[in-house]
Amino acid sequence: MLTSILRRIAPLALLIAFVTGAALAQPTGTPEAEAFREAFLAGELAWDDVLERAAEEGEVVWAHWGGSENLNTWIDTVVAPSMAEYGVTLRTSRVTNTRDVVDLILAETAAGRGVGEGSVDAIWINGENFFTLSSQGLNFGSFADLVPNAEYIHFDPDNPASGPNLFDFGYPTNKEEIPWSGDQYMCAIDTARLSREDAPSDFAELEAWLRENPGRFTYVRPPQYNGNTFVQSVLYAHNPDGTSFAPFQLSADALGAEEFLHLARPGYEYLQRIEPFLLGGGGADGQRGSPIYPEDQNGLEALFINGEIDMACQFGMYNTAVSVETGSFPETAENVIFPSDGMIKNKNFIGVPINAPNPAAAMVLANLLASPENQISKLGAIGYVLGIDADLLDAETQAQIDEVAPSLMGITYDELGAATVPDTNASLVNVIEGTWIEFIERRTGTLEESIEAAYQGR
Amino acid sequence: MQSASLPPSTPPSGARRASGRRTWMRRLYVPLMLAPVVLTITTLFVGALVVALLQSFGYAPLYGINEFPTFKYYGSLFSQAGFWASVGLTFYYAIVPTIVGTILSIYLALALRRRFRGKGFVQFVYKLPLMIPYLVGVAVTIVLFGNGGIIARSLYAIGLIETTRDFPRLIYSHAGWGVMFVYVWKQVPFTTLIVYSVLMGLGRESEEAAATLGANKWQTFWHVTLPQIMPGIVSATIIVFAFNFGSFEIPFILGGGFPNTLPVEAWRAFEDADYSRRLRAMAIVMVIGLMSGAVLFVYLWTYRRFERLRGRQ
Amino acid sequence: MRPAADATVATGAQRRRRRGLGSDRLGPFGRFYVTIMTGAVLIPFLPLIVGSFAFRWTWPDLLPSTWWWEARGTARLPQGWDYIFSPVSRVVESTGNTLLIAIIVTLLCTLISLPAARVIARERFRGKSFIEFFLLTPLIIPEIAVGLGILVTFIQLGLAGTYLGIVLVHLIPTIPYMVRVLTSVFQGLSSDYEEQARVLGAGPLKTLVHVTVPMILPGIIAGGLFAFLISSNIFLLTFFIGRGQIETLPTLLFSRVSGGGALDAVAAGVALIVCVPGIVLLIITERFIKEEVFAKGFGG
Repeated sequence: MLTSILRRIAPLALLIAFVTGAALAQPTGTPEAEAFREAFLAGELAWDDVLERAAEEGEVVWAHWGGSENLNTWIDTVVAPSMAEYGVTLRTSRVTNTRDVVDLILAETAAGRGVGEGSVDAIWINGENFFTLSSQGLNFGSFADLVPNAEYIHFDPDNPASGPNLFDFGYPTNKEEIPWSGDQYMCAIDTARLSREDAPSDFAELEAWLRENPGRFTYVRPPQYNGNTFVQSVLYAHNPDGTSFAPFQLSADALGAEEFLHLARPGYEYLQRIEPFLLGGGGADGQRGSPIYPEDQNGLEALFINGEIDMACQFGMYNTAVSVETGSFPETAENVIFPSDGMIKNKNFIGVPINAPNPAAAMVLANLLASPENQISKLGAIGYVLGIDADLLDAETQAQIDEVAPSLMGITYDELGAATVPDTNASLVNVIEGTWIEFIERRTGTLEESIEAAYQGR
Repeated sequence: MQSASLPPSTPPSGARRASGRRTWMRRLYVPLMLAPVVLTITTLFVGALVVALLQSFGYAPLYGINEFPTFKYYGSLFSQAGFWASVGLTFYYAIVPTIVGTILSIYLALALRRRFRGKGFVQFVYKLPLMIPYLVGVAVTIVLFGNGGIIARSLYAIGLIETTRDFPRLIYSHAGWGVMFVYVWKQVPFTTLIVYSVLMGLGRESEEAAATLGANKWQTFWHVTLPQIMPGIVSATIIVFAFNFGSFEIPFILGGGFPNTLPVEAWRAFEDADYSRRLRAMAIVMVIGLMSGAVLFVYLWTYRRFERLRGRQ
Repeated sequence: MRPAADATVATGAQRRRRRGLGSDRLGPFGRFYVTIMTGAVLIPFLPLIVGSFAFRWTWPDLLPSTWWWEARGTARLPQGWDYIFSPVSRVVESTGNTLLIAIIVTLLCTLISLPAARVIARERFRGKSFIEFFLLTPLIIPEIAVGLGILVTFIQLGLAGTYLGIVLVHLIPTIPYMVRVLTSVFQGLSSDYEEQARVLGAGPLKTLVHVTVPMILPGIIAGGLFAFLISSNIFLLTFFIGRGQIETLPTLLFSRVSGGGALDAVAAGVALIVCVPGIVLLIITERFIKEEVFAKGFGG
């Protein structure tokens, strides 16, 4: 009897011992990878040395959001062969949520896998995910201006154009990530169901339109970035001091819970007011009903395609054009300017974690992705905006850009430029999402309590 | 004397000799044969549950949290109305399709005993949902029953509805018709298979006897057939209920958002940006296991009592 | 023409009563019911098939406004089936993963369960009913409990995202079924044959190979098919432990459907492909296995 009990406990005890032992291990790192990292970051290596080492390493693991078939196709058919020319096999890890990759790196470094011993080389990253890695010191280093194609990116801090390259969600990038793409948050409508004139152009019109036509609109559920960006836009537009995005550029600590409550109250109350009039909501009786918030932009597009909502907002200047061309969207889909006072625009980057197993190959990949040819190919094939700065390119290349760029489907670059606003500070992202979940979704308490909880948990 | 009292299925007589080594080996025989299964299930399954249990009580050095033992994660769960709404919803999604599916299966199994044209084809086809993953059922439900789905479009084409809003909300709602359709669609073949094989194994003598004694079809079914297939039904419904109670992907995709079923809540808590939320996920998971286990225990116990009562009659 | 009220010819009702049970043929309501049920199984697949050949199929079209073949030349990127069968979609890779994992899981599961099934069927020992109950618990405790609990440990052990990790975790739901099926196989098998072999002088290994195994082989194959089926359909455990690095057909389908997907052509096509292993298994079992074997583990 005792032996049978012991026999059952023993494997578990061993498991726990192993796990605790692993947890207590300190990160070390292979000395050879450390040497490369130091030399490269000090600028001591010639690019040819990096190429040589990359060919030796032989492969590179790139973790990126895998929810777009078009992106996956472009990567496999354009980027992979280009990398193969350098003797490096591109292996992509398609993730549903970049945060999972960040968690993985956190777990790996906690388990003691240091420089050169991790499993991910490059990450398509920005915002609070980069902030998490950066604040824990888990980035490879300031590599962005050390690759040859950095000449197409403004990095001089005295030049205002370098702002989007040096600050990611208001947090300094330290050149630890290199711009790859960018986008502006905008909305598509199906003109067969909602004409351009009837489409709301700001949040007040949206509320009026919703009250008259309940159940024709919804937005992605935070914490997915498309949902979070919608909430940010609402907060900017309802800023009681009228200063729009400016105070939200401060960090969460600098702003403080009370000030955030003051600034965000009208916005969150607006979101709560319109909730019954969203898709699935209770409608005109003001009953809450079961509002439907899709998990990501694919879900939102599905509702749009199936005729359940008439307006779909997400990041994607050229998304409507590409979707119509690839058969997803109805042919009558077009873009609108919404909200007219603040369409968030940002850049996204390629980051390299500190424990990248193939750092040289990661550098080569980052460089390739920043090359004008590759950036233009991306724009033409799948409508992803350039991450490098077009004004640094020669006239011929700039003409190419205009040629391949997909249609804006009913709006102009000037209109877009006039409405541009930046994201909030990276440290505020979790607060905004947390407050939405507590206050709008779970209805656990007052707005004060929700913000308190969000501040605690961020 | 010895040989007469031993049960017929013991190993050959050589082992009964009082040789020391042989008895030692014989004593080890059963445990050794059981060892692989027991070890595997213990390390993987029980181990996972123990880790979840420890974490739910606040022991998580991996996340830098060690408040063991604490009830605060359970406390914060039980004090929230949303949690109890989730519990109710989970039971609702588990019980209703189990009952509906079982009734449909019994009728189908009875029908399969008779002759009819195309019986071979039906016997082949009805098992199909059993063989494919639940997610195919989800895909099919979205296409068919979505507000912009095929049925809605057909109604639009014949002019019965004008917009997607006029179509009743079957998926993405808390009423959960879509969720329950997937469960029933997938589980009717399973239960039918079990009931049908039990019926096949039983033969028709008792039913024919009842008929000659003058019982009509309903009485025959209720008093003769049903008690005979009851053990099969009980086994099947246990498995079906347990699955429905703990299923994640179907209510996640087709459900109505907050309040979610318990497994979806557990996953959401796990995926939260805040690591201490993961311990809450472990608490939810423990609650799921306990509730599921408790319900099934009571169910089985009631059934056994019922059986004993009937036996006495 | 039926003779009216002829006393020498028994009416249908009289004939039925004489046979004692009632007609062996299914009545009209029963036939209707069976038709509905069969339709409920088959009809849902039609929109999937149509959708997989659609290029543009938006509200409110009942049939795609543009079919896949019409747009093949003009679309800038491969669509529909072109995309599915290209390496980009990873469908072929996922299918390979699914089959490989299922085969390994089936083999391991059989090896582990055989000895246990044999003693459960044949022996009486203390704690037997506890073991039987213990082996049932993985079916009662939901996958999410196991998945979350085991995930962190596996990450620490470096098993997350590896084939070994997934195989290990697939053993949990397959072992209970396998043990039950094999137990009933052994129970239906008299040990007389083995005893006779030993009386005739065969050693234990020879008995095993030439007598036992051939007799239980059909049962093992049935159990193996069942385990293969379960493993190839598992979603949640593979999703957690695979961590996006190893895709099987169910996880691939999830990533396409989970957005509340519009069921674009690729999603519909993947859903159909995911059904293929199941259909193949259905055909195999229909031809070779009797239904009773499956239900033995669960029935009365």
